[in-house]
Amino acid sequence: MTNDRVRQVSNATQAPAVLSEKKINLEWIRSVSVLAGVALLFIVFSVLTNSFYEPANLLDILLQSSINTMIAVGMTLVVMTRGIDLSVGSVVGLSSMIAASLLQQNLLLGIVVGMLVGMVCGLVNGLLIAKLKLPDFIVTLGMLSIYRGAALIYTDGKPIYGIDPIFRAIFAGDLAGIPTPVLFALAIALLAFLLVRYTALGEQIIAVGGNEEAGRLSGINIDRVKICVYAVSGLLASFAGFVLIGRIGAAEPIGGTGFELQAIGAAVIGGASLFGGEGNPLGSLIGALTLGAMQNGLTLLNVPSFWQLVATGAVVILAVFADQATRKRQ
Amino acid sequence: MRDSLQSVQISKVDSPGKLLLQLKGIVKGFAGVQALKGVDFDLCEGEIHALMGENGAGKSTLMKVMFGVQPPDSGTIEIDGHGKVDIDDPRHALALGIGLVSQEPSLVPQLDVAQNIFLGQTEALSIVKRARFQAKAREILKPLAPQLSVTTRVGSLGMAELQIVEIARTLARGARIIGFDEPTSSLTPAERDGLFSLIRQLKNSGKGIIYISHRIPEVYAISDRITVLRDGQVVANRATSEVDPDELINMIAGRRLAEELHRPVKPSARRDGPEALRLEGVSRAGKLHAIDLTVHAGEIFGLAGLVGSGRTELVRCIFGADRKDGGTIYVNGKPLEVQQPSDAKAAGIALIPEDRRKQALVPVMDVERNFGLANYGQYAPSGFLRLKQRRQDTERYIEEMAIRPDRAGVRVRNLSGGNQQKVIIARWLQSGARIFLFDEPTRGIDVGAKFEIHELMRRLAKEGCALLVISSEMPEILALCDRVGVMRGGRLVQTIDDCSGLTEDLLMKYASGEVARL
Repeated sequence: MTNDRVRQVSNATQAPAVLSEKKINLEWIRSVSVLAGVALLFIVFSVLTNSFYEPANLLDILLQSSINTMIAVGMTLVVMTRGIDLSVGSVVGLSSMIAASLLQQNLLLGIVVGMLVGMVCGLVNGLLIAKLKLPDFIVTLGMLSIYRGAALIYTDGKPIYGIDPIFRAIFAGDLAGIPTPVLFALAIALLAFLLVRYTALGEQIIAVGGNEEAGRLSGINIDRVKICVYAVSGLLASFAGFVLIGRIGAAEPIGGTGFELQAIGAAVIGGASLFGGEGNPLGSLIGALTLGAMQNGLTLLNVPSFWQLVATGAVVILAVFADQATRKRQ
Repeated sequence: MRDSLQSVQISKVDSPGKLLLQLKGIVKGFAGVQALKGVDFDLCEGEIHALMGENGAGKSTLMKVMFGVQPPDSGTIEIDGHGKVDIDDPRHALALGIGLVSQEPSLVPQLDVAQNIFLGQTEALSIVKRARFQAKAREILKPLAPQLSVTTRVGSLGMAELQIVEIARTLARGARIIGFDEPTSSLTPAERDGLFSLIRQLKNSGKGIIYISHRIPEVYAISDRITVLRDGQVVANRATSEVDPDELINMIAGRRLAEELHRPVKPSARRDGPEALRLEGVSRAGKLHAIDLTVHAGEIFGLAGLVGSGRTELVRCIFGADRKDGGTIYVNGKPLEVQQPSDAKAAGIALIPEDRRKQALVPVMDVERNFGLANYGQYAPSGFLRLKQRRQDTERYIEEMAIRPDRAGVRVRNLSGGNQQKVIIARWLQSGARIFLFDEPTRGIDVGAKFEIHELMRRLAKEGCALLVISSEMPEILALCDRVGVMRGGRLVQTIDDCSGLTEDLLMKYASGEVARL
């Protein structure tokens, strides 16, 4: 009789195995279509311009995308918990201003305090969202304004010139011919990937985004996970800020304006779902490179930068649309 | 005025009536299971046709197909006067004369009775139109419930009256086919009798009635014909008077349930274990009133009651999913302060909640990760996952519990309900829990898997765990439990230590308040 029972159950569950393969296909199609889009972009720009495919330009794209990659990795972790962090651009501005001012006294002090500022900004976001149960969209939108305001108040709106040359060598220099921001960006994306894959926190991030209530009823500390991802997002934004001021050689209080959209775009192009539970930090690297390549190509084609803003926005909306369409079908 | 049981059955024999609805070869699959495997169903004028089957047998799927909520994968629907139709959505179904009185009425509490009856048929009600609709509503309600005022706000009505409004709403659209989905699940016996006489009125006026229920006595009291579904197939379509109740049970549940129901109950066999869980005056404002309860190690304690009687609220409070306002929880004799689920987990308590998809599983994750969800303490003591060990443990449970498909890497949303439930139970077994709170453990699970879950629960008890089990299926309570508590209105109104004389009927009476506390 027991055998009978088991057989009955296994009969009933034949169908799902087939179905699951169909779904894997759907996801596979999704990632292939992203890669195909990137390939198409490269081919089109290579045909239309003479210099796009040259190694120097490709390295340039990597360099230009590195700031966005760092922010997008943090954004991906936030989006995976079904959250959003709109304040990252302002965190870039605030933390880089404070770092730049302290760098004039002490290199290490500037770096440490700058990163602390970014992390605390993220912590505040996370605490408001997790503990007070405020909507992430509103909290980080408000903080976008507050952190930017703080950056402007800090020097009364004036930029800080003269960034320490050692600092610039670390965050915007070269190592064996490769720009350090590229190395940092790759390392950050890889570390975040390992975090998602091989740590409890990484899985708990997916659990919170995939089904918060199930996570809570399994005894996971949901608040801690949320606070963590926002803190990491803030920390990575401050790191991106270092690269920004290192490259420019000055810090501006309006530095980083609009970076949030670029980061969300990179995350979504890279496979993060705004419905939570899905995403890949390495994917956001691809996403950032896609946006970077597009902007680079448009510049080579002499498309005015105002139009590049329009194109970037359109691509981000398109990526979100594709995400919605594929998720809904499931 | 009310028909007796006999007269109903006789009236069926001499009025065959014309065919109103005919479904042929309906097939419908969902992500997971083939819910309907070629189902035929028909309904005549002036007929009450009962649709029976266990949870997961395909009843609700068939209803969804009939009422346009979901299109069938194949098969035809034919409606008298319309021919073969594809029903796009519930609005379209209404236009075709098919209305559903659902388990939980979908009315707008802020609007009055008349507005609800004509909801969706009117835009921007002017005062003149309002008066006209109220008159129409009064006319429709007159034979059903003349005492019900059409200007009462629906939010202030009781369950029975809500159903009347729902019925009136389908009649207002000219429905000739009316489905009732478990209409008595939240009614008192008196209200139930009222509903039955109403349904008979509808029948006498020539409507076709589809009556979905798993309550056998009710089906005998009201129906002319019974169709039984099991595992997505029709196993019987017979006149009610020709079917013997024992035979009906066999058809609904397959042989095994009948066997299980008839196996001798050992009264309170396992009550001598030490106290595992004790509640003293556990309260939650408006939901729970001073609950006292003790569950011993090795014992299965059943919680019976109607929907909304506070059973789910109670187990959620014990587990820390909701905060209690008063009272004390003792685990192994020691008071336990539960602020959040992780506190309960640390004390060896597990909650297997009623809605697996919403409350227990992360659908995008695979079986292994869902299994590990409550066990990060074991599999990642330093923060880094011990993937190899977790994979081995998952595979061991998959084999022991016969989880299908038998791969740890399959996304859990692709498993059937029974297999999902096994993954959840495996999760808590691995966590080392000794007190298991089961909320509707076999809801929506097919019959075969249901018995495996039952066996598992018995095994847990045998191994010395304490089980607190909520079930709305009285046969399940009777088959599984050593002791039973009945809840009503947020209170534990009855505790039955000796289940030997307990019947489904008696439990229903306690749950609905027909029997005063002894």
